[in-house]
Amino acid sequence: MTDEAPARTGFLSPYRVLDLSDHRGLIAGRMFAQLGADVVQIEPPQGSNGRKVGPFDDRGRSMHWESYAAGKRSLVLDPDAPGDRETLLALVAKADFVFESRGPNEPSRLTPDEIAAANPAIIHMIATPYGMTGPKADYAESDLVLWASGGPLAPTAMMGGTPTRISVPQAWTHASADAVGGGLIAHFARLRSGKGQLVSTSAQRSATQSTLSGSLADVVGQPDFSLRPRYTGSKKPLDLSGSGARTQRSKWPSKDGLLEIHLAIGPATGRFTNNFMKLLIDRGALSPEFHDWDWGTIHHRIMADEIDDDDLERVREEVGRFLLELGHEEAVQLAIERKLLLAPVSTVKDLVESPHEAARDFFDVAKGSDGAPVTLPGPFAMTEAPGFMRGVGAPALGAHSEAVLTEWLGSAARASAAPATATPTMEGAVR
Amino acid sequence: MTAAVENGAHMPAGAVDDAPFGGPDGPMQGLKVLDLAWVVAGPMIGRNLADFGATVIRVESSKRVETARNMGPFYGGVQDAQRSSLFGNCNASKFGLTLDLAQEDGRDVVRDLVKWADVVVESFAPGQMKRWGLGYDKLRELNPRLIMLSTSLMGQTGPWTALAGFGNIGAAMAGYQGLVGPQDGLPIGPYGPYTDYVGPRFGLAALLSALDWRRTSGEGCWLDIAQAEAGMQMLAPAIADYAATGRVAKAEANRDAQMAPHGVFPSLAPEGADPRFVAIAARTDAEWMALAGVMGLDDLAADPALATLEGRKAAEDMLEARISEWTSARSPEDAEAALQAAGTPAYVVATAADLGRDPQIAEQGHFVNVPGYDWEVIVERCKMDLSETPARVARPAPTFGRDREKVLSEILGYDAARIEALDKVGALS
Repeated sequence: MTDEAPARTGFLSPYRVLDLSDHRGLIAGRMFAQLGADVVQIEPPQGSNGRKVGPFDDRGRSMHWESYAAGKRSLVLDPDAPGDRETLLALVAKADFVFESRGPNEPSRLTPDEIAAANPAIIHMIATPYGMTGPKADYAESDLVLWASGGPLAPTAMMGGTPTRISVPQAWTHASADAVGGGLIAHFARLRSGKGQLVSTSAQRSATQSTLSGSLADVVGQPDFSLRPRYTGSKKPLDLSGSGARTQRSKWPSKDGLLEIHLAIGPATGRFTNNFMKLLIDRGALSPEFHDWDWGTIHHRIMADEIDDDDLERVREEVGRFLLELGHEEAVQLAIERKLLLAPVSTVKDLVESPHEAARDFFDVAKGSDGAPVTLPGPFAMTEAPGFMRGVGAPALGAHSEAVLTEWLGSAARASAAPATATPTMEGAVR
Repeated sequence: MTAAVENGAHMPAGAVDDAPFGGPDGPMQGLKVLDLAWVVAGPMIGRNLADFGATVIRVESSKRVETARNMGPFYGGVQDAQRSSLFGNCNASKFGLTLDLAQEDGRDVVRDLVKWADVVVESFAPGQMKRWGLGYDKLRELNPRLIMLSTSLMGQTGPWTALAGFGNIGAAMAGYQGLVGPQDGLPIGPYGPYTDYVGPRFGLAALLSALDWRRTSGEGCWLDIAQAEAGMQMLAPAIADYAATGRVAKAEANRDAQMAPHGVFPSLAPEGADPRFVAIAARTDAEWMALAGVMGLDDLAADPALATLEGRKAAEDMLEARISEWTSARSPEDAEAALQAAGTPAYVVATAADLGRDPQIAEQGHFVNVPGYDWEVIVERCKMDLSETPARVARPAPTFGRDREKVLSEILGYDAARIEALDKVGALS
């Protein structure tokens, strides 16, 4: 991105967003920027701490920053400089939305009351760890700890023994994305009332959405459907879901890596397993004794002890031998042709090189903060309408300080802005 | 910059419809949504709109029962398609109508609803709506301002558009299934259909933005949401990293490149009960020292090699073993409280039972009782807290065909004879 603002396109191109988030909530402003809003990231002279979150490429660029600050503009304000506060308030007065990511009592440049006083029409969004109030509202947080607090971590123990998080942090992205949705609903309220409001989210509560409503089990009176199912007697609880959420085996070594298929049982999804077994039969890969199994009703036979775990394990062994010879592209073709719940366990390499995403023109290659290219996920909705801005990378520190001050405040305000002389450092990285 | 913004105006000038929605029922009151979606990813979009006052008509089949109704947990533990709390959670505040879309008569009702609606949300396999004569081009002829949101695994176009499946397949195609698990060996993947959780967030943002654009443009549009592509948004740093360096992100157990110690540790649990765990992270050197102090790890606290992240990363196995000794001797609640009192991130690895008794969840009013049925209905409160126009749950999710009268008589103005005729041919099933 250059100092000259490109002509903005996108559903939200009429709007201005003041992004006061730190490393935790960068994706919210990113979503606004993808939708075409003028998103200005306020940075201290040493740069946003989002620039210090790994992974880093060989040029020392934070991939976290390059991804989640893409499409934004950067304005440096020095909290220690005289006039900083006035400049910030003046920017608030000109913004349609302001976004923060922080605990309710963590230090902030402006309080919600000060923001509302400076601009009663502004939508003020805050993604918090645990909510604005409550006995644990000021608890210390991290991605792992928040994921634990909201429920999606525990059930992974069913598969792996130890509850295990997603290795690319997720908790704050959910809370931040929810804040965007809430902010846009508040915008419709503002269209009628002329008034802004405070929109807050809790990463803990947002995480509960990743439990497939298993979070409700105790309070609705089915505690034995706990996120970690209890085993009663010798019988394992049967999984009648389509997603393999509660069964043992869904990852299988294949020719190109790993494949995902869950041998689904029951009325909802057993027919897909029948389709898969038909494929194995056609390929001569399934022993005759299993040919007449109907996976839509097989749970009745399991419950009646006509089929036991050893039988199921022998089927799994044959399935494993078959899948070991299968390549990823062939697997996708078979899944489509034969209606199988089968897919490659895609790596980021598979994603970037996907022929499907290439055909959809999904990925963008943009100039990153130092001008070198960076690959970014493209629009989160494909549409012929002018909905999204594409191809703009993350800003260099303070790259747009002058332009933003001029455009938002007029030239008179420029004198109070701090010059952008400092460069970000990789030391003291925080998460 | 547009002129409107240059003037400091917060609304674009010349809007066709300046304030289209809002009223005593909420800021989206007056928004009319035809919800043809099923399971989780699609229905959660309508749930969020309905909680803010939109009129959302959820159409489903009582013959081909949607998957969510067959999945637990169930209200009162009673396995019944009318009592799924997953369905209840995704469809609260909506009205419900059963229609047989395999029949032309059923599809004619859909066409009438499209004329009424601002928004259609659907999640059928790509191409199915078109095969029914309900593709966007046809629906736009009925309602030029219609915004149609189609959500699917891979999107409406592309060589793999026909790849079907639930969100676990979406999670595989979006790159998540390999990112959860041990550092060596087979990954386990995230819990359940992960892109079903991510997708609605992006769908809602796209839809609301398109609605705002419609105010000024007067135009409708079709939004093609691929769950896989929505999921990839939240893997953006790993995608950029691969493209820049060739590194392929993989499961790292619970370890983190920039924090140590950082993990999930076994806790004391009553004999015979399920194992319990506590999650702990030290974000800074200071938090490491605080953690060591709480746990009485004086020898480690005194070791200068462990004063830096680099040193602790090198000694991670040993640190985790020592921490496990401490955590194994107490409940996860006690560990959480002791560490948090010292300012170090820690939390019980919450099960459903833990969520049910978490004072923070309770204070946030997360679980909401919804009257209306013979059985007790509880859903999760909307994740977005709006200070002036809060969400509220207007009604429990529909039982099969609960709001037939409301939809067909009140909204569409059908007379009794027409409704009876539709019923007779089975179009309302």
